[in-house]
Amino acid sequence: MTPLDELLLFSGLTLVFLLLLGRFSYAGKVATVFYGGQLLFLAKMADRIVDGSIVTFSLQVELFGQQMSWRFDALSWFFAVITLGAGLLSSWYASGEWGERFRRRGGNLWLLNVALAANVFSMLILLGSGDLLALFIGWELVSWASFLLMTVAGGRAIQAAMRYITYAMSGAMAILAGIVLLWSHAGGLQYGQIIEVIPQLSQAQVWLLVALFGSGFAVKMGLLPFHLWQAAAYAETPGPGAAFFGAISARMGLYAIILVLVQLIGLARLSELMIPFTFLDMRDLWAWIAVLTIILPTYIALRQSDARYLLAWHGIGQGGYMLLGLVMGDALGSAGGLLHVFNYATNQAVLFFAVFAVMFRTGTADLNKLGGLITRMPISFFAMLVGIIGLAGLPPMNGFVSKWFVYRSLMIEGEPLLFLGAIIGTLGTILSVYKLIHNTFLGQLRVEHVEVREAPWSMVAPMIILMLLIFATGVAPGLVLDWVALVQSAVGLPVVENTLGGVELASGSLDMLWVVGVLFAGFGIGALLFYSGGRTRQVHQLDNYAGGHFLTAEIRYHYSDNFYAGLMHLIRPWYRGSFVWLESTLGSLLGIAASLIQRLYGALHPSIYLLVTVVVTLTWVLL
Amino acid sequence: MKEIDIPIEASVDRNRTNPLARVFDELVRFCRSRSMFMLHYCTGCGAIELPPAMTSRFDMERLGIQPMVTPRQADILLITGYVSIKTLKRVILTYEQMGSPKYVIGICSCTVNGGMYWQSYATAKQLDQYLPVDLYIAGCMPRPEAVLEGMRKLMDRIRSGEADGWKDYYRRYDWYLGNQQHLFGDDWQTPADVIGEASHYDLAGPGTEGEHTRLLQQCQKPLEPQQTFFQIGGSLEVKGESHE
Amino acid sequence: MSIQTLLMELVLMPLVAFVVGLFMVLMLRRIGAKLQRRVGPPVMQPLYDIVKLYGKKTQISHGWMHDIGIVMAVGGYVAAETLLPVPGMDGIADKGGLVTLVYVMMIPSLGLALGVGQCANPNGSIGIARALTAMLAYDVPFVIVVFGVAWYFGTTNLVDIIAIQQAGGVAGWGATAMPLLAIAGLFALQGMLGKQPFEIYIAPAEIATGPMVEMSGKYLGGLFVMQCFQLYTAGVLYVSLFLGGGENWLFFLLKVFAVVAIPMTVAFLFPRYKTEQMIRLMWKWPVMIGLLGLAFVMH
Repeated sequence: MTPLDELLLFSGLTLVFLLLLGRFSYAGKVATVFYGGQLLFLAKMADRIVDGSIVTFSLQVELFGQQMSWRFDALSWFFAVITLGAGLLSSWYASGEWGERFRRRGGNLWLLNVALAANVFSMLILLGSGDLLALFIGWELVSWASFLLMTVAGGRAIQAAMRYITYAMSGAMAILAGIVLLWSHAGGLQYGQIIEVIPQLSQAQVWLLVALFGSGFAVKMGLLPFHLWQAAAYAETPGPGAAFFGAISARMGLYAIILVLVQLIGLARLSELMIPFTFLDMRDLWAWIAVLTIILPTYIALRQSDARYLLAWHGIGQGGYMLLGLVMGDALGSAGGLLHVFNYATNQAVLFFAVFAVMFRTGTADLNKLGGLITRMPISFFAMLVGIIGLAGLPPMNGFVSKWFVYRSLMIEGEPLLFLGAIIGTLGTILSVYKLIHNTFLGQLRVEHVEVREAPWSMVAPMIILMLLIFATGVAPGLVLDWVALVQSAVGLPVVENTLGGVELASGSLDMLWVVGVLFAGFGIGALLFYSGGRTRQVHQLDNYAGGHFLTAEIRYHYSDNFYAGLMHLIRPWYRGSFVWLESTLGSLLGIAASLIQRLYGALHPSIYLLVTVVVTLTWVLL
Repeated sequence: MKEIDIPIEASVDRNRTNPLARVFDELVRFCRSRSMFMLHYCTGCGAIELPPAMTSRFDMERLGIQPMVTPRQADILLITGYVSIKTLKRVILTYEQMGSPKYVIGICSCTVNGGMYWQSYATAKQLDQYLPVDLYIAGCMPRPEAVLEGMRKLMDRIRSGEADGWKDYYRRYDWYLGNQQHLFGDDWQTPADVIGEASHYDLAGPGTEGEHTRLLQQCQKPLEPQQTFFQIGGSLEVKGESHE
Repeated sequence: MSIQTLLMELVLMPLVAFVVGLFMVLMLRRIGAKLQRRVGPPVMQPLYDIVKLYGKKTQISHGWMHDIGIVMAVGGYVAAETLLPVPGMDGIADKGGLVTLVYVMMIPSLGLALGVGQCANPNGSIGIARALTAMLAYDVPFVIVVFGVAWYFGTTNLVDIIAIQQAGGVAGWGATAMPLLAIAGLFALQGMLGKQPFEIYIAPAEIATGPMVEMSGKYLGGLFVMQCFQLYTAGVLYVSLFLGGGENWLFFLLKVFAVVAIPMTVAFLFPRYKTEQMIRLMWKWPVMIGLLGLAFVMH
């Protein structure tokens, strides 16, 4: 048995176990251990991955005369680590009091656990796909598993899930068309065959291929203009599911994009494809899609008043950085993009965990109904703080490193406008995440939340692990960069020469060990200065400046609604909802077309029968 | 109103034997006297005399005096003019929100004895019944020269450590509170916790607590607890669950 | 470089920054006084203020994040100073570079924002919301400038940027080669220092000094220290990018003080703009000038 056999078998076993025995109260905890076991199998694979060899799956299936195979290379392994890590922590989070509460409220915990296991299993299958047919089947499995997890909550979640599956099916059709196109030229769907046939295809054919595959994968990734489904679908999923989705699910799109566009077609070929009537080539187009995906969803997130939606919209925006780095195609940029997959997954998971911990205790994620929880849930606050520093990309957390790589790549490649777009996205993220933490944890504590306490250990422990991970990989990004370098060499990108603390470059290097060291030394001096001053005394929150007014607990003395009023005053007219309009226009056009056909059919109804009768009678008479 | 029946004790500072500490205290006192952030509570006509004192003619900034916006930032509370009973509540709240050491300056006759509002039913006549006034600048209204002269006087008193009205407020809080209750009624309270502050910083004296503070504790509406709870977990049933 | 020299530089650089920053605050107040035909404060006034604030008897805290926020606000700048080369001392400038410096400079603001948040005062929160909005406004021209400079010199290492400029004399200065970017940089500097007309987040008469509303004693003192660092950092960064850094301390300080004097002088001549006016202005003129400058630099 190869390690991949063990991994997939064990992952399938987890799914079967949950299906059969998932209703027992300990099932969640056992499943968490199972995910840990899967991670161990993945770790067993590590030495082969480091060697640059490929781990194969023993079973091969023949379908329609096509050989289907599965294997793990560094790219699959990298994504699988994140997938299993997210699955493990989400399952852990759900296994204790959270799941208990969820079940008591009438939620279907069994379905949630099964759907999570199904997602992990199907994603491993997708990541292991060794040819395009296996890729397509894996893709479909992932789509339906995601759909299953999205529907667990019912209600609004069902609507969002229906929207998702509509998008996903259209995307899958595009991918299928692309596969058929390739098959008709290559006569097979093995990666080797395709790499051989691509150079012989005409520009127009490659153009079509990129458009078909690209749009299909972009749906999963939530790239513009296919981003509308994602926020609601992820945000409405119950806690651990949302964290899992947020962390990794959409990145399957990125995995497929790397596989097809980078590995099979190649970035160099993309640069040769010109966009008609413009001076842009296909690669520029992708870069600009990435930048727009950074900017627009980030600024939509800025307007959200529900913490879950805010995070989900950011998830779409952060995908843009990964794609942007990747499309730059140089060692630095693609390393940044790939590193951001990992970094972002840790940040988003911890943020969702913190938000759902607050929801667990207070019953709401509405940013206008919270505040001041820092004194009641200090660890969740700290988790969110670490998460937002990472998401906004500030030192010393890991998000800074990956974004630094992307920025430096844009600077070296000389892309000022893309750079500006990326920075505008970062600034929007900073604004938005401050609003998130301020409205939830800072400001005035509401009277109804006085009794609130910190979330239980089963929810706090995954947060603490993620916090440590975010900080550690921020201080020593070399740990993850080693994996990233393996991925780069596996997919044929230039490999980044990293050090433990970052990267050495002639034109300006980064050493996070020093930067963080000095930063904390600075904090030490700041603390020394601060604590050398007089003794402090904490006053009550109502002992506060209000122009001489006497504050009481009934007075809401907190600023949360319309948080960036001045900014919104200027940019509110810019939110035109064009994509929503486009989507609804398409929808209603489809509706009109359908009803026209129905009308046509209805109108023809009697005469068709008449015609058929006449023809049948005439034939009978003539015969 | 009761007469002052609590003996005024001499200020007993901790004896600092370390010569360096004495130098340090001296330095801090010097800096306090040379950097005075003032919050001006301008109710009446006296306010007119402050702009010339601050702007180019007399330029208070030469002496390190700067206007500030909130009580937290300020060292001096400048009361320029009459204090009605309604505004006195706000003035007391503002005073209690300032960080010690803090100094109160009463400008104009109105703060000294009610001035032309002597017969008014709605005006507090003597400011020092309610707040420890460090310095009065009398006049109706005092000219900027007089204001500056008063400021210099206060600087000297801070430098020499004589301006300790703020300590008096902690030490004889019961007396001040009694006068305040006499004016505002038994349910008078501010969100600031003067007694707690006094005991936290070792500033309490024999007159900090007394019958009036007991009355305050009886009538006080308790404030919600504010400290941070680091305890993880706890019961599943929490408030707020019902209206989910 | 031996470990001892490095350690000494790491200690000296923030210290020098603080002392120079004190004099910059003094200059700020003196310029204001001169423009208003006043005498202004005595030379040691900024130090008196800080010592007094740290020496207050009661220090009013609103919770532990309030405390940590101030620690971060001061500590972040202390760290930033070591990434900023000055004559004779490079610190760890080559370990981080320009982009890192720009991001490390956001740490103090983040600390301050968190600290103010726990004060539970809406004036403070409004102030932070406006400050972040202002950051969004001035950072757009600022990153254009940063990009242009990094492209022109082919590096983000500040030590190299300064060395290249000094090798060419005045003709090699960034300001000579990229005058338009230097102008856009001045705009950004004005916003970055939060001086009028972009003083929207302090707005004493409107939101009671915004972030500083609940700051007393050493909390306010910490912000005063932070202001010293902020003025120094902004000035030195501009000098390093456009005016050839420092050949020696005399010229270095002359240049830095001259640069910082510009926004200070402008500040006292303007009223305050509204937030949306500030954004519109920042996104229009400096961005246009900056992009034009960038186009010249890149072609």
